[in-house]
Amino acid sequence: MKRLIFTILILVSCLFAKAQIAIDTLSTDALNELLIEQIERLAEDSDEDTDFEDLLENYIFYSENPVNLNSDEVMQLVELRLLNVFQFEELQKYRRYYGDFLFLEELEMVEGFDALTISIIAPIVYIGQDRGKEKITFDKLARYGKHQILGRYEQILERQAGYDDISDSALLAKPNSRFLGSPQRYQLKYTYNYRNKIRAGFVLEKDPGEMFFTDKVSDTIQKLLGKNYQRGFDYVGFHLYVKDLGIVKAAALGDYQLAFGQGLTMWSGMSFGKAGTGSSVMKQGRGISPKTSANETMFMRGAAATLGKGPFRGTVFYSNRLVDANISVADSLDDVELVSSLQETGYHRTIGELQDRHAIRQQVVGGHLSYAIAHFEVGYTLHHTWLNVPLQIRPTNYNHFYFQGKQLTNQGIDFKYVKGKFAFFGEGAMSINPDTLSLQGTSALSRFAGLVGMTIKPAGYLNFTLLYRDYGKAYQNLYSNAFSEGSRNQGQRGIYLGAEVAPAPYWNLLLYADQFQFTWLTSQVNAPSWGHDYYMRLSHSFNRRTNAYLQIRSKTKMKNSTDAFVFSHYPVFYTKNSVRFNINYQIGRDFHFSNKAEYAHYRNDDGSNSHGFFICQDVAYKPENKPFSLTFRYAIFDTDDYDSRVYAYESDVLYSFSVPALYGKGMRVYLLGKWKPFNNLTLYARIGSTIYNDRDEISSGLTLIKCNHKTDLKVEAIWKL
Amino acid sequence: MKRFLLLILISFTVSTAFAHDFISPIGGRAAAMGGSSVASRGLWAMQNNPAGMANIEKFSFGLYYENRWFLPETAYKSGAITLPTKFGCLGLSFNQFGSSKYSENKFGLAYAKNFGPYFQMGLQLDYLLISQGETYGRQSAITFELGIQSQVTEKLRLGTYIFNPVSFRLQQSLNQEKLPIVFRFGAAYQFTKDFVGQCEIEKNTEREGISLRGGLEFEALKHLYLRAGVQSNPGILTFGLGYAFSFVSIDAAAQLHQELGSSIQIGMIFSIGK
Repeated sequence: MKRLIFTILILVSCLFAKAQIAIDTLSTDALNELLIEQIERLAEDSDEDTDFEDLLENYIFYSENPVNLNSDEVMQLVELRLLNVFQFEELQKYRRYYGDFLFLEELEMVEGFDALTISIIAPIVYIGQDRGKEKITFDKLARYGKHQILGRYEQILERQAGYDDISDSALLAKPNSRFLGSPQRYQLKYTYNYRNKIRAGFVLEKDPGEMFFTDKVSDTIQKLLGKNYQRGFDYVGFHLYVKDLGIVKAAALGDYQLAFGQGLTMWSGMSFGKAGTGSSVMKQGRGISPKTSANETMFMRGAAATLGKGPFRGTVFYSNRLVDANISVADSLDDVELVSSLQETGYHRTIGELQDRHAIRQQVVGGHLSYAIAHFEVGYTLHHTWLNVPLQIRPTNYNHFYFQGKQLTNQGIDFKYVKGKFAFFGEGAMSINPDTLSLQGTSALSRFAGLVGMTIKPAGYLNFTLLYRDYGKAYQNLYSNAFSEGSRNQGQRGIYLGAEVAPAPYWNLLLYADQFQFTWLTSQVNAPSWGHDYYMRLSHSFNRRTNAYLQIRSKTKMKNSTDAFVFSHYPVFYTKNSVRFNINYQIGRDFHFSNKAEYAHYRNDDGSNSHGFFICQDVAYKPENKPFSLTFRYAIFDTDDYDSRVYAYESDVLYSFSVPALYGKGMRVYLLGKWKPFNNLTLYARIGSTIYNDRDEISSGLTLIKCNHKTDLKVEAIWKL
Repeated sequence: MKRFLLLILISFTVSTAFAHDFISPIGGRAAAMGGSSVASRGLWAMQNNPAGMANIEKFSFGLYYENRWFLPETAYKSGAITLPTKFGCLGLSFNQFGSSKYSENKFGLAYAKNFGPYFQMGLQLDYLLISQGETYGRQSAITFELGIQSQVTEKLRLGTYIFNPVSFRLQQSLNQEKLPIVFRFGAAYQFTKDFVGQCEIEKNTEREGISLRGGLEFEALKHLYLRAGVQSNPGILTFGLGYAFSFVSIDAAAQLHQELGSSIQIGMIFSIGK
């Protein structure tokens, strides 16, 4: 019988031989495209330069360590949002009916798997036997485990003002006027992986401006810094992680991330927030995962374990971490210490930044319990945070309901129901702060937050998502990363409606509209405000080597008027519209080309009106069967001001990401080289430069550069064993 | 007097919209199709995107004349020669805008080559000379322009062109005045055998905003082409006719600018050999 099925499958796969070629040639490009789109949108929505490394490391990890299509590991694809829940259900159904996958091409026969989905997941899955339960011995760990060492050097070649020479007395007079260390960034990372089941490693990093082994400062400054005098690698992290060993579903020691439900109660790492479209708006909490990046904020440090039996899963976690904070002594008589703000940059370059380093201890303890039957899953999360020094932020109106005090408890219930053409999901959460200082004048209801959503898939080529969220203005949570406009899950209400349509073969349309309202003041907005965000992206594949998209986005929000002639800075509307066209094509097998043009328009009700424009040509030479590749970009940009800036994703060395915000007038070029001299060693080098036409000085303060160009150099080596 | 006023008006408009005219698309066909030309082929590609002359198989030369708003002072003259060789196509070009009082001249040496049937690349080295009459003297500069064209499907051809990519400056000018960088990219799509559509986007770093161009060409009778197009920033509508004889093709165009009136372009290309 099995033989018969096998023969049929071979015949069928011959029919799909054309598709087989498609899978071969698309390689990782489709996955890259998907990530680039979301990262760019995320960068547009983030306020400052955000480090996306943490968010993207998992994708790289799995593209280097593919998951077995015939095992429960496939769930990882859903958690990475590369498959939606419907596709996952169909996949499981297919396996139940026809048994394990024998060829990747069989995916074509699974309902809901279009060419795009297959080309996205193809590079990160493999067909293997489900090992089921296996005994892990030290011998196996030593023989099949994979080691990887990554070293990276990075530097801005032009001299920045913060590195200028200064005398000690001048520095003592103005302690934050210089960086104490050298301008290089170094990172060293070691990781071990045994069949994605046991992972371990450490990461060391020194940021630009931080003191390395060779940097020296005078004794007076050493004395001033006291115990905060710090040289060598500024950040040191390690992780040990096991997955699916008997009843232990996951366990972590060292640095790890937590993500449960829809992320309203606990989602310690970064999330794509609103950047996911259509059916990926529904989040999939990954539970415990290792934290392998050098991101210095947003993670847990301690221990966590998930045990599971039957439909139940239980997780306990504990984290104890020193975090940066600005400590001020409130009362000199009692010597009461207070924290005025938590620092989240991860930089320790100046005397001031070093004094804030690891100033307070943040502890979290909690757990998650879940119960899952056929199509339904429900979970409960509870955690408690305490600081060793009470947080008392400098009061302004917009932060009136922010977390203050020493302790905070959060709890929440999440659920999801997925069956057939229908997915229903949500999470409700609340915060309990024993220090009622910041909660004066609020109702109990404002400490609750909730979101509920559903996705309907009437046909394979069509799905709609509706999501409603209401986060109370006094809902305080330090680890909340649910769907929201902006990064703060507090004082926000909104409705999101999205659709994914494939109107014709090789055409794809993504649409969403999000209307939101901030129920309390926000930073730089002196009143409750509202806005909306509309997005459309139409993409087309001319053939399997040529695809293009057109993207239109319009976002309206409110911001304080900067009109000098008004006394009260009331909020006014501002709108940013952008239109982008992108085309990727390939000539022969070795040359990849890409063009992008973007037009951005910014206007606000104060009367400011500005335009921005970006255009580029990318050329990549990736010869097959040769151990090297080269990528080059030439771009020019012209924007009236910072408001009409343009973001453009750039190829980078592996595990690193750059999405620079370009504004002003000038050009941007970069050259990225990859070379594999031996089978297990890969070298990367990248040099990028922004040359301005309209200025002789770049940036300001400590990062001021006194010329019209800024050049960054990166060199990376990855050694695999 | 009327003419004098018009000249002043033009010099205001032109100073922002047309400063340094070395880089406007030329040729009777491009002029009739809203200026869109970055993905087209032929002799005038030498100026519009040198990659497009890689496929020229015959020794050919061309002449082009544009009379902007019927003013001799704003005439644009151009001539070009191509010489196909075994190693690619070589070309020489000369462009002149203006009159004896003020003129912009460009001398170019071009080279284009086929890399397989689907990809062409071209390069032109330029010597630029601005002559401002006796009082103000001359300024000159050396720069280059680069282009690629790719036939990505049977019907779709894409092109990218960059003038002065490394931002050379004008010598002898007061503050080492910058030359613009011009970046164009666009497509030509062969809808049917006798119907072509073209579009492109252009950014000139010395101009405000961007320029979008589009054009259509229909082969109404054998060798007789009807063309129309539109361009934004400055907003122009264009129309034209072309006829290809055995050894010479003649293309004529008219462009309508709302404030400045109409301009006439005419180009001829002679091809010699088998």
